[in-house]
Parts: sequence; structure tokens; C-alpha cells
Amino acid sequence: MTTTTAPERATAPLIPPSTHRYADVIHRLEAGGSMLPDTPENLKQIIGIYKAYAVPMDFYWRDLLYIAEKVFLNPLPAFKYFISKEYLDRPNSYAGDQSQLRIWRGTDKAHPELLEFMEKGEAGKMPKLLHHLWHDRVNMEFAEACMQAMLWHQGMGGRFNDYLESDAYKANADRAIKAYFKRNPLMLGLYKLFPEMLLEQVRQMSYYANLGLFWEVMAPVFFEMSDIYDEGGFKGVPDAMDFLVNGIFAVAGRPIYHHVYIGDECFEIIPKSEGFNWLYEAALPYVEAVFYRTSPFRGTKSYNAQAGQVPADQADFHYGILYADVFPVGSAGIPPTLLMQDMLHFLPPYLKEIYKEHRRGEEDELIQLGITFQRSMYNVTSAVIQALRCALLYPLDDTDPKHLQANRAFFEAQMDRFLRPEARLPDVQTQDYR
Amino acid sequence: MTLLFLFLIPLIGACALQVLPPGSTWVRRLALATALAQLGTALLDWRNPPAQLTLSWLPKIGLQLDLGLDGLSLPLVLLGALITAMTVLATPIDQKRSRLFYGLVLATNMGLMGSFLARNALLFMLAYELILIPTTLLVAIWGGERRAGAAIRFLTYNAVSGLALLAAVLGFGWLNPGGFDFSFATLAQHNLSLEEQHWILALVLLAFGIKLPIVPLHGWQPLTYSQAPTPVAMLLSGAVSKLGAYGLLRFGIEFLPDAWSEWSAWIAAVGAVSAIYGALNAIAQLDMRRLVAYSSLGHMGFLVLALAAATPLSLQGVMAQILAHGLIIALLFCLVGLIETKTGTSEIPELSGLLNAQRGLPFTMGLMLLALMAAAGVPGQAGFVAELLVFEGSWVAYPIPTLVCLVSSGFTAVYAVRLFNRVGFGRLDNAKANWASTSWGERAPALVLTALVLVGGIWPTLLTGWSESDTAPLALRSSDAVTVIAAAPQTSTSELSA
Repeated sequence: MTTTTAPERATAPLIPPSTHRYADVIHRLEAGGSMLPDTPENLKQIIGIYKAYAVPMDFYWRDLLYIAEKVFLNPLPAFKYFISKEYLDRPNSYAGDQSQLRIWRGTDKAHPELLEFMEKGEAGKMPKLLHHLWHDRVNMEFAEACMQAMLWHQGMGGRFNDYLESDAYKANADRAIKAYFKRNPLMLGLYKLFPEMLLEQVRQMSYYANLGLFWEVMAPVFFEMSDIYDEGGFKGVPDAMDFLVNGIFAVAGRPIYHHVYIGDECFEIIPKSEGFNWLYEAALPYVEAVFYRTSPFRGTKSYNAQAGQVPADQADFHYGILYADVFPVGSAGIPPTLLMQDMLHFLPPYLKEIYKEHRRGEEDELIQLGITFQRSMYNVTSAVIQALRCALLYPLDDTDPKHLQANRAFFEAQMDRFLRPEARLPDVQTQDYR
Repeated sequence: MTLLFLFLIPLIGACALQVLPPGSTWVRRLALATALAQLGTALLDWRNPPAQLTLSWLPKIGLQLDLGLDGLSLPLVLLGALITAMTVLATPIDQKRSRLFYGLVLATNMGLMGSFLARNALLFMLAYELILIPTTLLVAIWGGERRAGAAIRFLTYNAVSGLALLAAVLGFGWLNPGGFDFSFATLAQHNLSLEEQHWILALVLLAFGIKLPIVPLHGWQPLTYSQAPTPVAMLLSGAVSKLGAYGLLRFGIEFLPDAWSEWSAWIAAVGAVSAIYGALNAIAQLDMRRLVAYSSLGHMGFLVLALAAATPLSLQGVMAQILAHGLIIALLFCLVGLIETKTGTSEIPELSGLLNAQRGLPFTMGLMLLALMAAAGVPGQAGFVAELLVFEGSWVAYPIPTLVCLVSSGFTAVYAVRLFNRVGFGRLDNAKANWASTSWGERAPALVLTALVLVGGIWPTLLTGWSESDTAPLALRSSDAVTVIAAAPQTSTSELSA
């Protein structure tokens, strides 16, 4: 895939400078830049972490789809993280020779570093069950936490969530439930008594599929960004952001669906024909739920809801990675400690070198890594903001001041979300934040 | 000869240090070797108590090199040697003017050993005075920003202490019909009138009250402890201040039992006031060093209460508290110093989140938790054993001051929890938390002290076993009734229990 370079900022003469607290960031966005300052180290950090993120993500999306499509309603899903060979070998839809729509240059197979880690882990070669029990494996719990954040927040735009309450969905789910438990009278009896119980489980499975399909796109994007950087392709942070923006538009219309395979039969609980697309039904809700909101009761930091420390309105939640206090508690918002541990196994050497040179070196690699992740997610969020601006508003090089003012208002509204003290936007503006 | 060795080895070590080239890594090693050699010798003496050594020095004025060890001095000799070794260990490897620094530490140690080993009041006084010069220099040269003021105040108070002790010792000589015989054996059997004893006891209380210190003679302590470099604060609080307790036990209870009995109610009241004053001030402090300093003042109040009660049990409590407090306070200063070295501050409001596993000082804070628990008298640690003996032993004699001390012991938990909560928990500020973790070398003194505090808690004989047989005869009251037995200070333990 090729990248396009954002136009140079042309707004300065046409509209007055912003007076927003984050005016510098807003001007940078108006110039086609990212919320993250354009420095060589920032570029190195975010690309390095994308690579380290992409490898476990290659497992997350496969296993999420495996759980959504195969494990489905297993009442005792003890082995849901023991992905089948079929799903481990499942070709990526957007990369490789067998892909349905080849957009990225990578292969369709699971990444070799992932396969090696699954075999050896940290402890060395041993049976898969021992790796699992020793927790020497990819932390699927992180992926599930992200899925649960999307399920729990709901109502973040799009039609996907509303569809889960529709009669068509219920009818499809009902068929799948009855087929799945056709030889299990106990579960069927329970289903008769409590029809909402299994239906809610199916809704959760639909979010498994939703997130799996979202990450199926993102994993090869990040791999390709890493490869381009290694080839000397990106010149700055805006290049990396533009690559993401272009990627978002390239796959924006790809379908989000939920198919379940029971025996030899495929049950289309959410058929592709419903027209749910990747950008509005997966990407935007994901960013909103995981980057911004999540929930306050994760990790080791505790909040007192009765003392008003937790907003009454879920839309005001601010416990995502863009606000996460990675530093003091090791985890907040989404449980990034699990992801950090996953990424730690796949860090490129140049990122390890950076960590060695700062703070406590290898001793506090996890914290440094978490903060790098935070930086990189500010860049991804910038890409989403620019993509939304591109889709809903005006080009950055528009010459109509009214249009530029509309763009300004949009960017300022986005920045308003980072006015609360927990936001890490001011922190990532400096390189000292490690 | 081992007694002479205990006394002189720091002098030999201090002189040898001056021969080494400046900045040599061997300076620290030699200082540590000296301190460890002394500690080893003291341990050998514990296993095989040496006979008293008497060498004539200036017989005309009654000064003899009269050295000996008994149950009162042996634990203090061991404590002094141990704290000195820990002081050397806790000193930064890159200590500036290291030869002078370690030389002064060893000179202080020599004064300590001389005081604890002395069996002659004049020799005791000389050794006592010897400590003042090196400790003042240590504070004045290597102290914090307000070191000059701290050193002057320390010097002034302790010079008064020294003068009062000199006057008391000379008073013994002049008033005692035996003439200028300052040996402890003679002083213990003086024929001073009660009025004469009162005068001397007043001087003794002034001298050792400053050294401990107790309220209202504590003016030097918070400033000195907060301005002294960490190793010096450890030495001053862990070993030097114990000289005050030892002096009161030796000069007050052993040599002036009648006057002590008469004044003991007032002394107990002063102890209670010290305890509550120290604890309340500790709660109000915003600086960890000052908090620990006031905490020490409070714990000295317990000691004074137990000395005033002077029952067999309370006197065991005195010895236990001397040892336990010496270890705990040195540990606390060591840990506060470590935190200060790493974070650059000991101000409580500026610190938080140090328990953070990745970027904080979790190991140091873990030890700090144990140290604070020990200071608060939590069971299983040395502080509990000592405080239990103090309170149980003092209750029969002075229930109200004991109750006040018990309340202040509760306050100990308040400032301990407050300190730990504010410094350990909360958000670690990323902008400030740019320090390295502690190395095993830096942790070593704290680890040794923590281990001893824990061992003392589960094996209390470590605290009381040395001195049980020597404190019982000094008791002025029985442990189960308020019976003054001052007239018969040599009463045996079996008679007391009967």
C-alpha cells in the first residue's frame, strides 16, 4: 500500500489562531499532523510498539474469531484459548496470497514470531497445557477485556448494537442456540426458562466476532508499518499517521458479521448482507470504548463510585489508554499490564535499546513500554480523528474560512475530551515522559 | 586484653586510615574491617567474659584505665560496635573526605566504647567528652543546609551535658569521704547524705537527660537528627543517645538509689511528658527525618518511665528498650536516608507512591513497613518485647504515667501509618521518579538491622538475656507491689520474688 502525504497547513492566514488550551496540538492537526509531536524518537517508539503489538494481535483476532465461531456457547470454555489449527492457519483476509482483498503486503499466515512463542514461550518447549497453566502464553484476557468494554458501553454510534436487539438477530441466535444444544436437554431447558441468558451470551459472541474482524485488519497494518520503517520509508510521525488514515479508508467498508459453525452447518447470526461495515461498526466503537472509556474497575487502582469518583454517565468514562495512569499503578482502564507483557516478548531491538538508555533500563521496561504504547495510541487516535474530519468535514487545504472554522471546531471538540486532568495528552508532548 | 583491644581498635583504625591515599577504596574497607573486628571481639567477650582490666594512669586525681564488662555494658558494647559497622556500611561509597569522615566515626566509637567499658567515673567522663568533638564535626562538615546551626546547638547542649557530668563526678570525689577514688565499686558504696545525693542526681539528670534526650532538654535533637548525614544520624540515635540511658542506670539508679527513689515520681512524669510530646510532634511533622527524631524522643520517654519505676521487670525493659530502640531508630534513619538519597527529599508531602513495583522503592518501603511496625510496638518485633516489659514493669509503680505512655504508644501507630500511607501509596509522580533502584550494597545495613529487629521479636532473650542478672539487683521496687527497696539495692532476685 502506498502512503499519501498530508497537505501543508494553509489555514494560518485565513483564520485566527486557536485559543484552546491545546492550541499547539490543534494547529498541528490542522497542518495534517498528529497529536503526537513529530520527533525521530516518537516515530521510532510508535513503530516499534506497533510491531510488538501486531504479533500478539495476530493471535487475538484468530482466537476471538475461533471463540465467536467455534467455541460459541460452550458452558465450560476452559480451552477457548487453545486455538484450533484451522484458525491458527486461517488466512488473513487483507494480506497474503489467499486473502479476499489483498491490501497489505504481509503474508496471510500467523506471524513466525508468534508461532515460535506459542511453542516455546518464556519457559521453553513444553506441552501446551503447561504453558497455559504457567501463564506462559499470549494473554487473551486482554483481548476479552477490550471486547467486554465494547459490549458494556454499547451505543457508541453505528447500527450494530441496535441490531443485537432486533427480531432478525434474535431469530438467528435462537436457531444457533437450538442447534448448538440439540443434544443437551439441560441447556435447552434452561434456555426455555431463561431465554435472555443464552441470548446475551450470543450477543457477547457477536462482539467477539466484531473485535476479531477489527483486529484482523489492524495486525497486517502494523506489520507493514514496521516493515516500511525498517526500509526507511517513514520520515516522520505524520507519515505514520497518514498511513493509518489511508488504511482506514481502504478497509472502511469491509463487512462486520458473525457466523457460527455448528457441525457442518454455518449459522449466519449477523449476515454480511446486513451491511455492517468495519469503520462505523467496529473501528469507531473500539476507539471510543477502549481508548477513551473502558471501565474504572480494572487493574489495581480503585475508585469510589459512592464518592462520585466514577461518572454517572457511561459516556463520561475516561479510563482508557489515553487517560491511563500507566506509571503509578501498572494498570488502569483496560488492563494494559497484560498487553505490556505480551508486547514485551516481541519488542524490536531498537526499542529495547531506547528503554535500556532511560530510567531503570531493563528493570522498568514494562512501564516504558506502556508509555510508548500510550504514545502510539495517541497517534492511532489522531488517525481516526483525521479520518473522521476527512469523511465528515473539509480538506485541510480548503480555502474557505468557514470550512476551516468548521474543521477547527471539530478539532477543538476532540481536544476538549483531553481537558480533564487524567488525560495524558500534555505528557506525551514531551520526551521526558517515559 | 580484649577489653583494651575493644577500646583501642577504633583508634588504631582511625590512625591507619590517615595513612591511606585520599579517595582510596581501601578507606571504607579498612573502616568496615575495624568496626567488624571490634564487633567480633565483643561477641567473643560475650562468650568468654574477660576479667576487669586495671591500669594505673593518673592515680593522684583518681584516674585509672579501669575497664570491665557486665550485664549492663556488654549489650551496649555490642550495640555500639554493630551500629558503627552499619554506619560505615550505610555511608555512600563516594563519600567526600572519606578518611576524615571514617576517622571521626571511629573516634566516636572509641568514645562510646570507653564510656561503656569504663569502671571509673573519671574515665567514663573523659570518654563521654571525647564523643562530643567528632560528632560535632561530623554534623558540621557533612550535614545538610542548616548544618552550622545544628552543630552549634548540638555542641552547646552536649557541652552543658559534659560540664554537668564533670561536676557530678567531681561532686562524688569531693563529697565522698573516700577521697578521689572514682572507681565504680567505690561510688556504689558511698556515704553521701540524701541532700548531697540530690545535688549530684540533679547534675546527673541534666547530663544524661540532654544526651538521651528528654523533654525539656531535647532542643538539639530534632535539628541535629534532621541535618546530620544519614550514617551520623544512625550513629547518634542508635548508639550515642543510649549513653544517656546507660548513664542514668549507672549513675542514677546504681550510685544514687535513695535520691532516685525520692525523685522517681517526677522522673516518671517527665518520661510520660516526653513520650506524649514526642509522639504528638511526630504526628505533626512534614519531614521524615524530623518525624523519626520526634519518634525517638517519644520512645526515650518510655525508657525514662521504666528507669523511674526501677522494678526488676522495668529495668529489664530498659535494657530491652535500649537495644530495640537502638536497632529500630538506626534502621529508620537508614531507610529515610536511602529514600532521601534516591528521591532527593525527605519531605513527606513531596513523596508518594514509593511502593510502586517498577519505579518506586518497593524493597526499601517494605523494610520501612517492618521498621514502622517495630517502632509502633507490633508483636513479633523487638519493639513489642521492649515496650511490653517497660509498661508491665512500670505499671505497679506509676500507673498514670504508664497509661500516658500507652496512649503515646498508640500515637506511634498513627504517625507510622500516616508516614507509610503518604509516602508509600498514592501516585508516583512520573516527572520526579527518575531515580535508580537501590543496590544490595545500599540495602545491606537495613537488611541486617531488620533481621535483628525480627529476631529480637521472636527471641526476646536476645534483648534481655545479657542483663537479667545485673539489672535485678539494681531494682528499687519489687515487680508485684509498690515496695521501695532502695535501702537494699543489692537484694537478690530470689529475695525479690519471695
